[in-house]
Formats: sequence, C-alpha cells, structure tokens
Amino acid sequence: MLITGIKSRPVYDQLRPLPGGIRHLVAGQGSGGRAMLRLLDEMPEQGMQTTLLYSQESFSGLDFLAELQQRQVAELRVYPSNQELVADLERILGNARMGTRLYLSGSESFIGTAMQVATHYDMNSDEVLREHAGSFVRRIWCVHCDSYTENVTQRVFQCPGCNAMLVVRDHYSRRLAAFQAVKADAEVPGELPEAEELDT
Amino acid sequence: MTIQFRPDETYRDDYTYANSPECIARAPFPFPDDEYMYSMNLEPHVSVGDGALKAIFDIDEHYISECRDRAITLEKDPGMHYVSAPHMMEAQWDLLELIMESYASDYPEYFTLEKDGTRWHWTNTLLNIDDTFTFGDPSTLPYEPMEYITRQAQGDWVLQEERDGTLYWGAGIATQRADYSLRFNLGMAWHEFHGPVPLLKETGMLDRALKFLLRLRCGHPVRRLNWSLTVNPRLDVSAESLPDWAPDRTTVTAENAGKLVYLRIELQPLHRLPRSNAIVFPIRTYLLNLEDIATNPAWAKRMHRVLKSLNQELVDYKGFTRYRDAAVEWLSQFDDGQDEEVVKAG
Ligand code: HEM
Repeated sequence: MLITGIKSRPVYDQLRPLPGGIRHLVAGQGSGGRAMLRLLDEMPEQGMQTTLLYSQESFSGLDFLAELQQRQVAELRVYPSNQELVADLERILGNARMGTRLYLSGSESFIGTAMQVATHYDMNSDEVLREHAGSFVRRIWCVHCDSYTENVTQRVFQCPGCNAMLVVRDHYSRRLAAFQAVKADAEVPGELPEAEELDT
Repeated sequence: MTIQFRPDETYRDDYTYANSPECIARAPFPFPDDEYMYSMNLEPHVSVGDGALKAIFDIDEHYISECRDRAITLEKDPGMHYVSAPHMMEAQWDLLELIMESYASDYPEYFTLEKDGTRWHWTNTLLNIDDTFTFGDPSTLPYEPMEYITRQAQGDWVLQEERDGTLYWGAGIATQRADYSLRFNLGMAWHEFHGPVPLLKETGMLDRALKFLLRLRCGHPVRRLNWSLTVNPRLDVSAESLPDWAPDRTTVTAENAGKLVYLRIELQPLHRLPRSNAIVFPIRTYLLNLEDIATNPAWAKRMHRVLKSLNQELVDYKGFTRYRDAAVEWLSQFDDGQDEEVVKAG
C-alpha cells in the first residue's frame, strides 16, 4: 500500500472574479481572509451583490475580521467555527443558488467540507473557485473506525476514535473531504514508521 | 459442462479452500513474459478455450463457497462492502440483466431466466433461489438490484458512470478487494482512485487507458488481467480489515511459502451498459498457492523469474516486501535456468 506520493490531492485555484454572477458568496476561514480581501479589491463594483462569510477558527491564529469589517458589502456573517459557517452555507445555497458564484478560501479541510455542500447543490467548476490558505493541516478519515480528525500535522498519530496508531496517506477523497489513514503497525504491532511532519 | 462444486470451503479462520487439479489448469495465468511491468494489456473479451476465458462471466468449483463468504462479509459490516450512489439505479438494473443473461446462456444447467414483459423469473439452482420480480421495480427484490445479483456472482463488481470526459465510481460490491477502501473510493474520478498506483501516470498509461474505456461500446467488452500476492486464501483483504490479515505477512518462510503464499489473479472483463451508458468493471479473483502453481513446472519457473526481477516499487505497492525473498527462494527449485515455452492459459 502506497503511503506517500499519491496523486489524488486536489489542485487549488486562485480567487478571481467569476463572470455571470448575480450574487457572490465569499466564504473564508482564518488566514483565508487575506485572499477574500484581495478578491474584494478586484471586484469593487459588485460590493452590494456580495455576501461575506468568515469563520474565526484558525490553526495559525491569523484573523482578518477587522479588515473585512471595513469593506462595503451587502452583508458580513461571522462564525466562531468552520462547522457553523459550512452549516450556514448549506442553508444559504438551499434557498437560492441560481446565479450564485461561490469563492472559498482557507484550510484544505475547510475547503473540502464547504465543497461537499457545493457539490450537493450541483455547483460546477464555472461557479466555484477555491484558494488554499495557511498550513496544509489535514482532515483525516480513519479507515478502521470511520471517524474524522481535524488539523492533523503528523504522518503518524493516534486515532481518537479507535486509539490505533495511524499513518496518514496522501490519498484524498473529495466526497469525504478527507485524507485516508490506516493502521501504522498493522504488520507487526509496535513497529511504527518514522514520525515526520506532514508537508505543511 | 458439469462442475464438481466444493460447497463447504472457507476463506477465513481455518482456510479450508483448495483447488482441484482441473481448477488450477483452467486459471488465467497472468505472466506472458519472464519480466512483468504494467502495460496496456487490454484485449477483446471473446471466448477462448475451455478455461476461465470461455464464458462471459466465469464461474468455477468455488462458486457456492465464495457466495457464502461474500454473505458473511456483508453481514459483518453493513455499509462497508456494498455502496451505491442513489442515481446509479438504472445502471444497477443494467448489471442485473447482464449477469442474469450471461449466466443463463453460459450455464443453463444452473441458471434460468424467463422474461414476460417486465415480469422476470430467475432460478439459481446452486443457491436454491427461485424468484419472480418486476424489472425496474426495486421493491420486488429483497436487496437493491446490484446487491441482489452480485450476492449470486463470483468476483467484485464496480459501476462507473461517465461524466465530464472521465469515469466516476458510482457503485460497488467489493468483499474481496485488494487493499483499498470502497467507501473512500465512492464518488472518485478515474485519476483519483488510481492515484496510489506507482508509475501509471508517469508513463501516460492512465490517460491512454481512460481514452480507450471512454470509447468502449455496448456489446464489445474488453478484458485485462491483474495480479498480486496474498498470504492464505483470504478474499477479504480490504484496507478496513488490514489489522486482521497484515500480520500474516510475517509468517512466511522459504519452507512454508509454497503453502501460504497465494497468487491472486484478477480477471477484469469490462462492459458498457445499454440504458445507463455506465461501465461495469468486474474483478474476478482466482487464488492459487505456489504449490498449485508448481503443478505446472513451466508456470513455477516463469513466476520465479517474474518475482525475482520485479520492480521494487511494484513489490511495495502490492504489499509483499516482507516475503518476496521467501517466495522467490521457494520457487527457485523449479528454475533450472533453461528457457522453454510457458504454456499460456486458456
Ligand atoms: C473502470 C475501470 C477500472 C477501475 C474501477 C479500476 C480500479 C482500480 C483500483 C481500485 C485499483 C487499486 C488502487 C489502490 O491501490 O487504491 C486499481 C489498480 C490498478 N489499475 Fe485500475 N481500474 C480500472 C481500469 C483499469 C484499466 C483499464 C487499467 C489499465 C489498462 C488499469 C490499471 C491499473 C493498474 C496497473 C493497477 C495497479 C494494480 C496492481 O499493481 O495490483 N485499471 N484499479
């Protein structure tokens, strides 16, 4: 089983104004605020058609809320966690998604879970852009106990769900918005691969 | 054709699975050469010989036992080994029809299918099944159509839907999958689920194989072979159950490799499906241990050379890094260094 060098990790875009939208949803988290600000600079005419969604959850501690509050937009919605932002995004897209353009910026885990919602509403690649920001901390799915762990930075870690020592593979599923992890010492219990930082 | 079935074999715990000499002889031996590397080994799926390549979907003496093992695995972990996206229902019916028609025409002594409009009557004497149902109406079957028919079929089955110039994993039943997770792969695109395979992308093979499959036409199936090694005749070697079977890899020695190490051959005949335009990818697995292989000295000799010279990246990917040397040493007794033709399967 291959652990590293797998080619299923998503490739990200750079946020830029998308044509044809009547409503722009710009959603970001933590250090993703920087790309949100840059995007707003590039679309000064669309302020009143723009809704900002910002989660202050951050792995690196960066917070762009003060700058975002200075911008002239239709609405700024602020959330304490990424999960609450994504739940609200689900409600917003459920009410109206025709003519909506979605811009996502933040961690891989944030983008991945927000994309699950966008995919559920059949948004296609002309309607969504994703820009990665911050460290590549990973959201992990344990193949053995079906649990998810956020913000993993180590190749080998202990699963909070089943306590197994897991090794994180580079294999990524967009449907689960997560990387896969498998038991690290499956062949010989206790014989672990070398600890290393993930490529953050 | 009469098959002497072995109805009471196990693929777990006491591992009573074993091959008759006839069953060994009919296996699709996967090594055309003394050296092995991935290649575009796709060919038209036409009937050849009297062995595994004769029928549209091959069954053999293990049919009853293998269906039982599938049922055990499905019952153990619901939702883990059979998954289907909701929009795959049409492809599921396509698959049910394809398997029923193929089995009934290739094995009329075991399977019959009578159609009266959408009222279908299906009998499977090997599993004592006699069902009448309405084609297209899932409420008339005890399971979803794909699960219903593949519980009566050998091998794993995957349904791929074609969208945006690629293939997406829409459904699957996989109780004998080699080291991957079905739930993880559901919804993945062609290049994503092949992501873990070494060398495929770099050599351009992944693009070429996809192009080939997108041109696949209804009624013109193609097939290919793949292979790996497994310790013990175990069908369920999923990523999920890794902790149950990976420790067996440490038990192999040059003395016991003949009994413990199994060549796992995958016959993969791909079909385009008529209504849904989906593609079905069956993975029909044959398990032969090295002692079985050695009943054909030319096979043993060839396999010795293949394993000995195999690219280390493939060894690591296929998961037998720990016991490659033991298997090579056991097989070396059949290689005198002389060259002779190896009899091909079929
Ligand atoms: C739609 C049909 C197909 C499906 C669903 C499929 C699926 C898979 C899966 C799940 C794996 C294991 C990946 C892992 O380790 O996680 C795999 C391996 C592989 N596939 Fe495919 N595949 C298909 C068709 C093909 C074709 C047509 C080719 C080449 C012509 C191909 C070449 C390979 C190779 C070389 C491997 C590595 C096998 C090994 O070393 O054991 N596949 N495939």
